[in-house]
Amino acid sequence: MEISRRDFMHIAAIFGLGAATSSMASSKTPAQISLKDIYDFKSKGKVTLLHMCDLHAHIKPLYWREPSTLISAPNLVGTPGFLCGEAFAKHYGLEPSSLDAYFDTHMDFDTLAKKFGKMGGVAHMKTYLDHVRAERGNDNVLFLDSGDTWQGTGVALKSGGEAIVKAQNYLGVDVMVGHWEFTYGKERVKELIEMLDAKFISQNVVGDDPFSEEYEELIFEPYTIEEKGGAKIGIIGQSFPFTSTANPKEFTQGWSFGLRLETLQEYVNELRDEHKVDCVVVLSHDGFSVDQEVARQVHGIDFILSGHTHDPSPKPITINGTVIVIAGSHGKYIGRLDVDIKNGKVKDYEYKLVPIASNMIPADPAGVKLVDELYAPYAKEFNEVLGKTKNTLYKRDTFFSTFDQLINDAIMDEMKCDISFTPGYRWGTTVLAGDDILMDNVYEMCGITYPNVYTFELKGSKIATLLEDIADNVFNSNPLYQQGGDMSRLGGVTYDIAVANQAGKRISKLMIGGKPIDLEKTYIVSSWGGNLQNAGTNLQKEKIRAVYDVTRDYIKRQKVVDVSNKGNVTLVDYDCGCPVKGSRSC
Amino acid sequence: MQRREFFKKLGAVAAVTAVMPSMSFAEEAKPKGPNEFSYQKALDVITGGKPAKTSSKVQLKVPEIAENGAVVPVTVEVDSPMTESDYVKTIHIFATKNSNSRCVSVHLTPANGKAMFATRIKLGGTQDVATIVEMSDGTFLTAAQSVKVTIGGCG
Repeated sequence: MEISRRDFMHIAAIFGLGAATSSMASSKTPAQISLKDIYDFKSKGKVTLLHMCDLHAHIKPLYWREPSTLISAPNLVGTPGFLCGEAFAKHYGLEPSSLDAYFDTHMDFDTLAKKFGKMGGVAHMKTYLDHVRAERGNDNVLFLDSGDTWQGTGVALKSGGEAIVKAQNYLGVDVMVGHWEFTYGKERVKELIEMLDAKFISQNVVGDDPFSEEYEELIFEPYTIEEKGGAKIGIIGQSFPFTSTANPKEFTQGWSFGLRLETLQEYVNELRDEHKVDCVVVLSHDGFSVDQEVARQVHGIDFILSGHTHDPSPKPITINGTVIVIAGSHGKYIGRLDVDIKNGKVKDYEYKLVPIASNMIPADPAGVKLVDELYAPYAKEFNEVLGKTKNTLYKRDTFFSTFDQLINDAIMDEMKCDISFTPGYRWGTTVLAGDDILMDNVYEMCGITYPNVYTFELKGSKIATLLEDIADNVFNSNPLYQQGGDMSRLGGVTYDIAVANQAGKRISKLMIGGKPIDLEKTYIVSSWGGNLQNAGTNLQKEKIRAVYDVTRDYIKRQKVVDVSNKGNVTLVDYDCGCPVKGSRSC
Repeated sequence: MQRREFFKKLGAVAAVTAVMPSMSFAEEAKPKGPNEFSYQKALDVITGGKPAKTSSKVQLKVPEIAENGAVVPVTVEVDSPMTESDYVKTIHIFATKNSNSRCVSVHLTPANGKAMFATRIKLGGTQDVATIVEMSDGTFLTAAQSVKVTIGGCG
């Protein structure tokens, strides 16, 4: 059930992409791309599943630059989930400087940003969603959300997630799962679910407090059955399996996560055998590469709508008859999946990753009004201009990105530490070179419910072990042992890394403050957004402060920030940031 | 799992703990002393040097990444008719790199009806969790899976 090459070329041709034998031909400007091109779709069957993932609370349009480095173990690099830049463009047949190249890759980002403008925004998403609902009939369309929706901006943080739930209700989300949602804490999660029109489902969240009524019981409904277009569609929820290790345990104390593939298989069978559904969908926050493993191990799933790893995947991939799609991040895309169901079976499908180009898809006035209302209470604080940036500030990349470096610079300047750790999350924002940095941008980079920067002591030997441990979470050759983030960003440190080496032997030439690490020495370490402080000693309590306040003050002191894209990590076993499959070069 | 079924299991665990006071947990800092017991050594004692065959009949359920290294859930289930002529005699569970690798040994009879055991073990670090199953005919089956114990912090 792959999209045939012909279909793909057809899609590509519409965008002025791909097939281009005349690669010199200039690509279309926004004025030349019509709404019709973006909406164009060869509809199939009666049912449409619309999909978004990892909105990270970006209800307003934003700039979001995709990674220029996306390194993994040699068996994974260059495969869907580990593609970026030119390797991505080559794999999917994108034409340089096209709208899709702008949305899907980092290449020529600043120039194309000026040409095509901002991405996403709920008011623009809504216009597209309503277009599809009108075309297909409201009763034939489901809108599914793979989670990481409630967290990631100031308006989300300050409203305790409520602003985003209101935006989801406005968009008409039908079903969702979670990950960062849980960082509001169990009680708040339950309150927000009360406000949410959508169903919150998860088969892999189970009580593990023996003194609780919830012990060994499911916390959420594991699945839902929706009747659309005359078909019964079973949707199983899979929240982020590693929530309790990736985020502080206290938020989900008493709840156990995990992949739980045995029960996933049981629910697939139950839906098919007992409920006689026509189509089984897993709505997942496992990550794109993990879901490829899930498709290998669990049988009978028709579609996995994936999330977590923020990959835009213009083409679905099929493994063991299971079709896997993922729709990028930050509201940049809506995935449209038309399904043709006959005699209780999926016969065919058609998929397109639709770029929400805010300059081309008009805003729905009701959405603009809603967003304004939601931002109004915080407008004064969020719109404060803190300073300017000389170079583009971005998040993503495997080892280093400029906005993270700016945060590390801010922490080191205030905390007077030897080393600063900033987490390798994949959400954030992009501020173009020469633009103002607003307080809103700082919240977009570090607006979390556990924002404290901790300063403490760690022995050199412990630091070395920790870095290896983090590296193995990112570079393990088995996706099931990865947690789907990038390497922690380090201030005050440089190192060499050989990704393909075995666990514990990847990092060398580890230098702190320009000197080789002394394994016996005790270093002053500052860190936020992780559990690192639990491994340290002599916590300096008087220095604890929220990372967004530390960053704000630093930018205000600097007035103009100048962070180079040079990076502090030397990659030993690859020649470039976006290698092609089976190669160590591009 | 039903609550009822679970409490039955919990009862089974308690019973085993009572008769097996030697159920031992390793510390992160390796103690030097009589408690040290390597996996290889344990294997030799149990099998007497006989081969232990990897078998799909043995289902070892452990998480890929431990939520808490101090209480890692382990379930071993063996596909066996549990009759007088063919049953599972013993299920051994190991944390292969803990300084004392032996976690628990559960002795069964055909009267158990089902060869299944669930417990929680403490892991000193990332390692393989293994089970050795002794069958009534004197053969040994085995299964193992890596469990990552990590400070985490990505997301």
